[in-house]
This record gives sequence, structure tokens and C-alpha cells, in this order.
Amino acid sequence: MDRILPFLEEQVGGTCYKSYKYCFDEREVPSVKYEENQSYTLQRDRYGETDTSLKTTKDISYTSKQICCNKPLFSYFLDGSRRIYKIDDLELGRKIFPIIGGQIGVACCERKSPSTFKKALLEHNLVLSLPSEADKDGRNSDQFFNSITQKINDLPKLSQYNLKFSKILVYPSKSLDPGEKFENLGIAKIQDEMIDCEKKIVAELVKKNLLNQDNYLLKDGSLQYKPMKSGDFRELSKLKSNYRCVVGLSKHFNPELSKDKLGKSNATKIAKLPLYHRTPAFMYQTDIVSTEVHFCIWYLRIRDVKYTESPFSGVVKVEKVLVTEDEIENGLNSDEVDLISANIINERNPVAYGSDTRWANHLYPVYLTEKYVKSQYISDLHFLNLF
Amino acid sequence: MKNIGKIVATEKLPTTVDDFYFWTDKERIIKPFDVVKVEHIRNSITFGVVEEISHFTDSPSFLAGYISSDFGSVEHRANTERIGMNYVKARVVGNTEGIFTPVLDGHLVSLADEDDVKKALGLDEIKNPLPCGYIEMYEPPHSIRIPVHFNSHFLIGPEGAHLNISGISGLASKTSYAMFLLKAIQNQYLSLKNESESVAFVILNVKGKDLLAIDEPNKELGKQDKDIYEMLELDPKPFSNVKYYYPYSDSFPTTYAQKDDVKSQITLGKGYQFKYIFEEDKDSIDLLFSNVDDPTQTMESIVNYIATGQGKFDKITNWKELLTEIYEHTKKGETGKDKEITIASWRKFYRLFRKTLDKSSIFANRLGDGEVRLQDQIMNIQKNDVYVIDVARLDEETQGFVFGDVMRAVYDLKLGQIERKESDIPSKIIIFIDELNKYASKEVPKSSPILRQLLDITERGRSLGIILFGAEQFRSDIHDRVKGNCASYAYGRTNAIEVSKGDYHFVPPVYKSMLTRLKQGEYIIQNPVFRSLLSIKFPRPIYKQFK
Repeated sequence: MDRILPFLEEQVGGTCYKSYKYCFDEREVPSVKYEENQSYTLQRDRYGETDTSLKTTKDISYTSKQICCNKPLFSYFLDGSRRIYKIDDLELGRKIFPIIGGQIGVACCERKSPSTFKKALLEHNLVLSLPSEADKDGRNSDQFFNSITQKINDLPKLSQYNLKFSKILVYPSKSLDPGEKFENLGIAKIQDEMIDCEKKIVAELVKKNLLNQDNYLLKDGSLQYKPMKSGDFRELSKLKSNYRCVVGLSKHFNPELSKDKLGKSNATKIAKLPLYHRTPAFMYQTDIVSTEVHFCIWYLRIRDVKYTESPFSGVVKVEKVLVTEDEIENGLNSDEVDLISANIINERNPVAYGSDTRWANHLYPVYLTEKYVKSQYISDLHFLNLF
Repeated sequence: MKNIGKIVATEKLPTTVDDFYFWTDKERIIKPFDVVKVEHIRNSITFGVVEEISHFTDSPSFLAGYISSDFGSVEHRANTERIGMNYVKARVVGNTEGIFTPVLDGHLVSLADEDDVKKALGLDEIKNPLPCGYIEMYEPPHSIRIPVHFNSHFLIGPEGAHLNISGISGLASKTSYAMFLLKAIQNQYLSLKNESESVAFVILNVKGKDLLAIDEPNKELGKQDKDIYEMLELDPKPFSNVKYYYPYSDSFPTTYAQKDDVKSQITLGKGYQFKYIFEEDKDSIDLLFSNVDDPTQTMESIVNYIATGQGKFDKITNWKELLTEIYEHTKKGETGKDKEITIASWRKFYRLFRKTLDKSSIFANRLGDGEVRLQDQIMNIQKNDVYVIDVARLDEETQGFVFGDVMRAVYDLKLGQIERKESDIPSKIIIFIDELNKYASKEVPKSSPILRQLLDITERGRSLGIILFGAEQFRSDIHDRVKGNCASYAYGRTNAIEVSKGDYHFVPPVYKSMLTRLKQGEYIIQNPVFRSLLSIKFPRPIYKQFK
């Protein structure tokens, strides 16, 4: 019994259908439910920054030029990604569940000088996502799945290549809502695991005292982590002090969902944002994360609209968790907002033009980190052939 | 030794039996011809010689570079440099266990130490070693310097013979390199106890006075160069047993050398003036017309007519009479019995012959004190003798005449045409001639007696013990059979047009461009015992240099 699937069949007492194996990322990626819910509650009576007089946009080009000879604020760059595979369909009882496999990669790279860009931390995990139904007794699921993970890792097929699955993630085998799919539940579990890895790496950087006021971490994507039911880093509200020197940068955002302080759509203002200008920072909470966590958010244009394909490309969404009581009360210090913005502007080059269609919104160190993470994956064929 | 990178084998550029690629840090300084070693299967080591070094970034186009500089702002400085590395192409030169399967992806590449380099280039197994320069590799603190030796059996026989040196005049220091090798050979034979092996040298000085004081030390030779001579185990002394031969002229020899120097050489018994005496040298007249196009062979017929004493030519005793007699044949009705030679041909012959005779005083009636015939001298050449024959100031035709005559004399000597004890004759005679293109270029008429002589030497000289060291500006000009018979080649600095020619097709592109940048004292050499081309250096000349 060399491969994983026959072994799994035996362990869970089901039947594998030997369906077509493929990588989801090569096909249309199913939209995952929680990703849609990006709405948030604006704090109408509060400003996101201390300078309450800023009503329109602010030109940061002068500040960015002023600091261009200084050591950049961002020394660490974090990116997480996952690659998800449909492995097979498993018949358990009278139901059919997908077996989902995935590779999770989260890396943090450090920039010591313009020419020295190295890995600081890396997490590369192989995971499986199985339905809770797979444990037929259901008494001690954790123990059951841990034991299967261990046995899978002992299979000669894996030890031959020195590969290990870090864990089996369990998705609920509940009755599905209309339009809901088990695949998506499985994928969501893997996505959660990736986010957990990201939080773990931030925690590790903090533990090693690497993040401070001169060495910020720039994280690719939003900081809006929803609380998880499991994992070591469940709630952001408990971890927010880790994020004192962390800035989240989203390449893509739904302009319709961005609202100004009065709750009106901000889309036109963002589209017309002049080069190197930022919007005022807003303060908001989101139900997804926790009402205890306050975010400061603003938009910044880093590329001239005449070079980009849409008025929104070239604009990035910047997020920062408000940590201190003072910040929550009065917003982030406007000087810090400007400094972060200026530093992001100074990160605009080189560009990934020609290598990545999102080049206008990408920052090169983040792009490199992403490339590094992906370079660590084993090939799709190799992964699928383990089964 | 220090690890410098890892092997990369891709779909498009796999590693092969012949070459491999590896990445290395962009700050790492290595250069073409450096040797690297790679860990290979069964604990073996594969050696490679660096051929090409390229810098590579993730930029997919030039446009991305332009955009990355803020859409064309030259002042822009980015916080992060584009990720980049150098990748190096190396050619496989050997494996410690004789395993020639391609090296494997991800395997470590490191710098080699002295022993490794010798092993890699085959320098550790060279028999009959003869210093031919030294290799310098890597940057401090890893830099190494290794002496390089030819197998003398492949340079001066019996396995292979003849050397061809090419390079631009002045910049390539061809003469200096040839003299460096000749010095090494003399050094080796002087210390040799085996009497059956001996050598003598005939050097033609074709330019200036560079070679007219090779037995005098170079007082400006620095410690650095002396150390190199010591490393190469060469005696840091100039040539010994040197004799200088100057073309005769009534007041002072036709030479660029200074009067006092020549006088002192003559006084010391190592300087002579040479002459050509009609009765003994008339057979060599053909050499005067070697570069004259003679498709109908009429010139050859005239030479033959004179040499065999036809017509009234049997009564002639000197050059003047010969000229007069030829003149007689230029008159109408005076063509003699040989109707096949037209008056026009006689006139052409007369014109060329008179020009040579008028220009040079070496064609004389008899020898005076301290005057010699070159043929006699060559016939009496002794072991370890170095003959320097100065032809620099002679006109081109006479230069060719002297060179052809010297070659003919050496050939006759080695063929045993004279009465001399075999064991007294040097077993090898090395002839060095610069500007070989004058006598062996592709444009030289096929009937040229000098070319025929050169072909004879390059094709049969190895077995006879006549070795030709030829030098020229452009190798591509030289007759294919002359250069094809050389076992060793030395390439000095040359120009881009020359390296684009067929002769250099086998040279990798990077080496070609290196050839156009070589400095004085740097050569790329090729010899059957080396596993690849070698980039070597050699020290400054050990004999007196004129400024």
C-alpha cells in the first residue's frame, strides 16, 4: 500500500471514486463565502487619524522625496499563498465528499540593504481537508485525524521524498445550503490554516524583537482576520499588540464597498485620486474580525493613472490595526500615516511589469516574497501523484 | 575551497557531457578560463572551465526596466534592487573518476585549489615539461598562481612540432613570447646531460633592433618578473652562445643597431657581416623572385637558364657580370638559343634583379676580414648556438632572399648534404621568423621557392629536427598547410575582424572577445597536451630592451 488514497480508504472505511485529480488554481477558483463579506462599520464620530482637518486628499510626494535617502521603514515583507487540489471523491455512508489537498506557503523576507533580500521565516505545509464524517466514531476527532496524519507520513511513498503532511483539516459534513459546496468548505479550511500560519509568523517576528519603529512589516493583503474556531492564533483581538508595526496592503479592493466617513461610496474619489496622494484615513470596525479591533484605513495612489489600465489600478488600500487606547480614541497619528504612505510610494519600483498583470498595484519586495513562496511548492504533478 | 554556487539544469539549458551552468552571486568575481569544481556522483569531482558569465534578473523586458526607473527617470533610486544573479557556463574538462555523465542540478560548485587546477587542465601529468607561462586565477584571498608547462616533445618534436604565434604588432608582444620560449628551451638543453639531444637557434631579426642584444641582461627587470622566472625554474640570465650576423655594407652594416654596439660585438668575436658571393650563391637567385607572380614560370626558366650556365652564363664570376649578361639578353636578337624566354621576360628579370643589386651591398665579389657567408655559418652551427640574423634594414625582396637561403642551408644541413659528423650537428634547429605572412600568406604565389621551403619544413621538419616558430599579425592570412602543421598555437591580442574569421570558429564567443582585449604579456595557448585553451601570462624579456 504505497499511495495515500488506498490507505485512506481503509482508515476511514469509505470508497474512493478515483475521480479526476486537478489543481483548483488552474481552473475557475470557487468563490469562498467569507471572502465576500468585506463590509465594515465606519466609526462616524471618529477620525482614522489625528489630523481632523483633512477633508480631501493629501499630497505625499514631498514627504516621499524627503525620506528617499533614509533607510526605508519596511524591512520585512510577508506573503502567504496556497495551492489547492481536488484529490478524489470519497463515499462515506451514502454521502459523497471531496478530498481536498493543499500546499500552504507563508514566507517573510527581510531586506537588509537594496541588494540583500533574504528569507527570514518560511512555513511550507502540505495539508489534507477531509469531512468530519470521515471519523466514524466522532468521539475524539483530533486524535483520530492526528493518528491518520502520522500514519500517512510513515508511508514509504512520502518518506522516500522526505515529505510530510502537517495536519488533516476537518470540514463540517453538515447539510449544505443552496449553492454551497463541500469543496468550498474544504478550501476555506485550508485558507484558514494559511492565515493561521501568517499570524504565527508575525508572532514569531515579534517574539524575536525584529519589528520596531524602524523596521516595519509590510503584509500582502488585508489584516481583517476573522476569528477562527481552532488554531493557535484564533482571535486577532488578543494578538493586536503584535501588529503595532505591521501594515496591511491590499492590491485589490472592491471600490463599491469603500465608504467615506459619512457612509457614502468613495469609489469616484478613489478613481480620481491624484498621483502620490492619499485619502484621509478612516476608522472602522468589522464584524468579521471583532468589534474590539479598530482599523485605520486609507487609499494611496502609487502609479500615474495615465499608465494604468483602470482608474483603480495604481491605487492600494492600506490598513493598520489601532493598538493603543489613544489610537483607538483619536486615530493614528497623521504623521505616521504620511510616513507609511511615503514609504509605500518609495517602494513603487522596480515593477513587475510584464511578469504580473497586477504590476500597477504590486510592490516589488512583496512580489519577490510571493515568488519565493511559490518557488517552494512541490510541482502539481508530484503532489497529485502522492495519492 | 570556497563554495560559490550551485548547478542549474533547466529544460532549455540542461547540463551535458560537455558543459554545465551554475548560478553565483552577482558580486562574485570570476573570469573566463577560471577552473571550478563540482561535486558529482560516486564521490567524484567534475572540473569545468568558465566560458561565459551572464547577469540575469527577473525583468522580462527592457520596458520593465524603463518603467521601474519611474518611467525613465535616471535619477531614481529604488529601495530594493531587482533580484538578480550571475549564471555561468562552464565547459567540462574532466572528472576525477572518469565519469562524464552530466553534473546534477543543485550540486555545489566551488573554487579549485592549485592541485585541482593542475588536475583539471591536465597540467599534473605533463612529461618533458618546458615552461610556457603561468596561470593566475581568482581574486584575493583565493587567488592562485600556477606555472604552466608544454610537453616539449609536442613543441619541438618528436611527437609534434612548430609553433604559430599571432597577434597585433606592438600589443601582442609576439617576439617577446617567442623569445621567452626559446630561452626556456635553451635553459633546458644547457642543463641536459644527454648529449644525443641538442638544440641550436636561428633567429631572424626583421624589425628594429629588439633582438640585437639578446645576450645582454635586461637591467630594468623588476623583482616581480624575477620571481616569476624563479617560479618557472628559469635561469634569470639572458641568452648565451649568441652570434649576430649583419648585412654587409662598405661603411657600416645595413642595420638599425647602434654603431658602437655592432663594433663591440665584432670586436668580441660574436658579430659578423654576411655577404653573398656569386660563385657559391648563384643557385639561390630563385629566392629573390619568390614573391613575383610567375604564372607562366618564365622567371623560373631564366633562373634555371642562368644556374645551369646556358648561353654565356657559364663564364660569369660575379654579380656585376651577371647583371651585364642579363642586360645583353634584353636587347633584340639576343635571346640566345632558348627561344622560349621572351625579351619581355628578360627585361622584367633584369629590372627586378638590378633593383635588388643596387639596393644592397651584400651581393659582393669576395669575403673580407670578419665577413662570412651565412650558408657556411649555418653548416657549422654548434649545439646551443643562437644565430641572430639581422635583416631588418634590407628591402623586402632581399629579406626574403636571406630567409629562404637560411632555411635552405638548415635543410641541407639536416638532410646530411654536407660532410659533418652526425653527432656534431645539433639534433634540433629552431628557426624563428616574425612576419611569416610575407613568405607564407595565402596570397604568396604557389611557385614561390620560399613557400615551398616553408611547406617542406612544416611538413617534414618534425622528423628532420627543423622546427619553425613563426609569428604573424593575422593567422587567417597564413597558408593552411603551414599553420595546419603546427602542433602549438599562441594567440595574442588581435582585432574583432580577425576573430570573426573561420580560423577562430572553434573559439567560444567570450574567448573571442577576450582575444581582442588581451594585454601585453597575456596569451591564449593551444597545445595537444592541454585539455582546453589556456589563458597564460609570461614575464618581461630577460634580455636587453631598447626604448
